[in-house]
Amino acid sequence: MWRPSGIDRSTATFIGLVLLSLVLVTIDLRASGEGLGGTLRDGVQTAFTPVQKAATFVTRPVVGFFEGLSDLVGIRDENRRLRLQVADLERQLAETESLQRRVEELEQILAIEPPEELDTVAARVLATGPSDFDAIRLIDKGRRDGITVDMPVIDEGGLVGRVVAVTETSARVRLITDPTMRVAVQVERTGETGILTGRGGGLLQLEMFNTQAALIEGDLLVTADGRFPAGIPVARVTEDAEAEVGFSLVTRAAPEAELSRVDYVKVLVFTSDQVGAPGSEEEEEPVQPPLENGGTETTVGTGSGPGTTLSP
Amino acid sequence: MKWRRTAVAVALVILGVALQTTLFVRLRPFGASPALALLITLAVSRHLGRVPSLLVGFSTGLLLDLLSETALGLWALVLTTVAFATVRLRRRFEDDVTLLIPGVFLVSFAALAMYALLGTIFGEQTLADAQVVRKMLLPAVYNVILTPLVLPPITRLIGERGGRPGWNL
Repeated sequence: MWRPSGIDRSTATFIGLVLLSLVLVTIDLRASGEGLGGTLRDGVQTAFTPVQKAATFVTRPVVGFFEGLSDLVGIRDENRRLRLQVADLERQLAETESLQRRVEELEQILAIEPPEELDTVAARVLATGPSDFDAIRLIDKGRRDGITVDMPVIDEGGLVGRVVAVTETSARVRLITDPTMRVAVQVERTGETGILTGRGGGLLQLEMFNTQAALIEGDLLVTADGRFPAGIPVARVTEDAEAEVGFSLVTRAAPEAELSRVDYVKVLVFTSDQVGAPGSEEEEEPVQPPLENGGTETTVGTGSGPGTTLSP
Repeated sequence: MKWRRTAVAVALVILGVALQTTLFVRLRPFGASPALALLITLAVSRHLGRVPSLLVGFSTGLLLDLLSETALGLWALVLTTVAFATVRLRRRFEDDVTLLIPGVFLVSFAALAMYALLGTIFGEQTLADAQVVRKMLLPAVYNVILTPLVLPPITRLIGERGGRPGWNL
């Protein structure tokens, strides 16, 4: 192999590999993850999934042991918190039953078809991204189970993320904490809409469209129509935010899903095509921006079919 | 013999990547996990020949790239650089704890910083991450903690019998 005099073989190899890496990055970025890169990823992930399954099987008791140790510390507080939560949930259940009856009556009056339940696929988290910078999880269900790219993923708390790649037997989920993820949300209390952006972990950043509506700590944010079906809990506001006319209204929110310890998830069999919503690769814009008079339109539907829009 | 050691190194790397992506799904003290593949790359580069070390570093990085959603070649570039730095410095990277521990910390931290910087240049928004410093610092600290558990067994498996690290291909 030709090399300039004074450069030893390892340095020449290093320079060659660096150049090769840069060429790969360029090709992959130009192909937007498709093409050769996409095919290689699919192939390697398919081949590596059995290795990861075996490693998960072997390491699960070790993880369980360490988790048990850490859980032991807070078990008394957890018990007290759960009792309070049960009492609260019982009260909410009674209220919900009453509201459900009212909704059924109103639906009958308005002759609206009740929204269909979305099909779901239960999956187990097999693996994480190779570094802390990768906010992704690998799940053990793939194309053969009906999963396709863009489907929303939830756990018992709320939205976990979105499927970004699928092989026959597995799928990669990008978490809502990833800095490239943006989710259109609606404040459940006021109906105002905004955008939640990942910050790499921990809290999410919430930016509201209507800067005149204050946010209160504890406000629940649910998905607005668009890439995800409407109404999925996403996060809860952690800091009050005062309205300032002419300025953006920005605050922080904590994910409702327990992302750091997510084990089992559900993939919603839903794609944004089902509501015909616009949206770029990573960015989602809500279908209904707030009205100028401060009110919002109301959408009925979970996204399993076109939502019915009612003027206020 | 040389190829046997390289094959063992490749097997170790695959094991490291499998453990890194599965063991730390839920086990993440303070929201971070060790950079195990990086530590194993560093460990095997202390003993393999110069060119095999670089090739193992490149292949490990490529495997990480293929298992993530980042641009193909980012980790390959970083881990090739880690292997090159280790190959150049390994005469000083001997089993002297006072040099080895800071060395592992510095190489790990610098590699993760390089990844964050390159990721941002290539549109991954890694520096937009609110926890970017923590995600560079904690894995480097965890790598230091794991050093006594990882480096000696690898030295025993692929180190030159009774010799110093650093034989050339």
